[in-house]
Amino acid sequence: MTRPGRRWRRFLSALRFGVRGVRAAPLVFVASVGTMSAGLVLLAAYLLLMLNMHAVLEHFGRDLRVVAFLEAGAEPAAPELASLREWLEADAAVAEVVYVAPAEALERLRADLGREAGVLDSLERNPLPGSFEVRLQPGSRTPEHLRVIAARLQREPAIHEVRYGEDWVEGYARVLRAVDGVGLGLGALLLIVLCAIVSGTIRLAVHAREHEIQIQRLVGADGWFVRLPFCLEGSLQGAAAAGLALTVLWGLFKVGVPLVRAPLALVLGPRDPVFFGVGEVGLLLALGVALGLVGALLSMVRLEESS
Amino acid sequence: MIQMYHVDKQYPGGAYGVSDVSMTLDRGEFAFLTGPSGAGKTTLLRLLFGAEHPTSGQILVAGRNVSRLSSGSVASLRCEIGVIFQDFKLLGNRSVFENVAIGLEIAGATRREARVRVWSMLKRLGLGHRMDDLPRSLSGGEQQRVAIARALVHDPLILLADEPTGNLDPDLALDIMDIIADAHARGTTVLVATHDPGLLDRYRHRRLVLEKGCLLADTYPDTQPGRVRWAASTLR
Ligand SMILES: Nc1ncnc2c1ncn2[C@@H]1O[C@H](COP(=O)(O)OP(=O)(O)O)[C@@H](O)[C@H]1O
Ligand SMILES: [Mg+2]
Repeated sequence: MTRPGRRWRRFLSALRFGVRGVRAAPLVFVASVGTMSAGLVLLAAYLLLMLNMHAVLEHFGRDLRVVAFLEAGAEPAAPELASLREWLEADAAVAEVVYVAPAEALERLRADLGREAGVLDSLERNPLPGSFEVRLQPGSRTPEHLRVIAARLQREPAIHEVRYGEDWVEGYARVLRAVDGVGLGLGALLLIVLCAIVSGTIRLAVHAREHEIQIQRLVGADGWFVRLPFCLEGSLQGAAAAGLALTVLWGLFKVGVPLVRAPLALVLGPRDPVFFGVGEVGLLLALGVALGLVGALLSMVRLEESS
Repeated sequence: MIQMYHVDKQYPGGAYGVSDVSMTLDRGEFAFLTGPSGAGKTTLLRLLFGAEHPTSGQILVAGRNVSRLSSGSVASLRCEIGVIFQDFKLLGNRSVFENVAIGLEIAGATRREARVRVWSMLKRLGLGHRMDDLPRSLSGGEQQRVAIARALVHDPLILLADEPTGNLDPDLALDIMDIIADAHARGTTVLVATHDPGLLDRYRHRRLVLEKGCLLADTYPDTQPGRVRWAASTLR
């Protein structure tokens, strides 16, 4: 028998020992998973809410643009326009700049008016100003950025007026700040609840295992042979709890969302609420595993202190 | 195989478990550790497998200085020793098979090897049919045999047994002594703590007599068959 082979077998034995321990005391396992998943449902529901709130802003941001109107009836010369465009594009927050000439603005208006477009024929000259439509980089689509950029444009003499739907954006930002504030408090509260739950399950596990670990040591188990099954059990519990929590939340989501579609639309607009994607599900499972693992290690520390 | 030099063990309360014990047990020897209840037999055994630390003195077991071992080395020492505990110390929620296999698993035996050894050991002890049962569904005698199977399944260098026949009826006690004798015949060094006079009368092995923590006598039986006499070789 080679040494690495033996070590590997001991590792596998310890894992098997842990799995059989779970099978031998399924109630402890189930109780731990149950309590942990209750906490994780709360946490995941909270994260789902935040995810949707931010998805709305993201969605809104795609249509977001700042429109800078030039003086009406005085279209600047081409070199002047080019230098203005250059100046606009130099800003790192700007993704795209489109110039809408007065003639094109008139065409758009004509198309919008449809059959009523005849009223425009009586105009002697085009009353519409030219404008630059500025689209922003995804990272800069926040009210703060918008305000800064708008203020900068405003200071440019050639630009007569700047519009970006400021009321809507700033109202929404206020709502989001409020949500984030409440969310932060709620998140902290949830974390405390979750810690209490995990330490409760730890106490349960330690109680169930104390005698067993004492015996393991007496028949020659070293620290790792004792710890590894414990850690495995903790990770399995965490993964199972996260899986259960996500399943419960998904069920609630599927059943609950159609019931509250109308009030939800007030908050989210016409968009349907979204559930976690594959990556986020993976992250939550990993969070469950980490939680279980940390819990197991903490309980090992507590056990080693007590013995 | 086992050496103790002026070993003291004083418990936190001040009570002496053992006091100034010196003795040597050679490879392949079989000895009884006797004395009345409270004499320090359990304490002495616990010192030998590192469950207690001596207050003073030196203890050597299988070439290791037990009083100075790290916890990792204590673990590897215990893998080479078999211990039968007075209260069995079986894992209540693990099957008989798992209880016996645990030492082999800790030592890194292959699964096949573990299965073969555990199975043949349990069959030898008449427990082949109880392999998948939980210890609590077994009688006291059966639990005792599971504890013995666990202590012997890995062919330990040393067997330490604490009252292995306590609370058993005489027939069962003899069965168990046969099993221990078997292990001895295969080369295991054996130290059996007992205060059962019937057992002591029946087997002519070396005796270490403890009283109030002190080693009162270390006697070897007369080698003449038929008449068992005892000669004191060490008196304090
Ligand atoms: N954990 C302990 N704490 C304090 N005193 C102990 C402890 N274990 C044993 N003793 C004391 O040490 C002495 C020897 O006990 P023990 O070794 O159990 O004797 P035996 O096994 O021969 O009956 C007794 O006086 C007992 O009260
Ligand atoms: Mg005792």
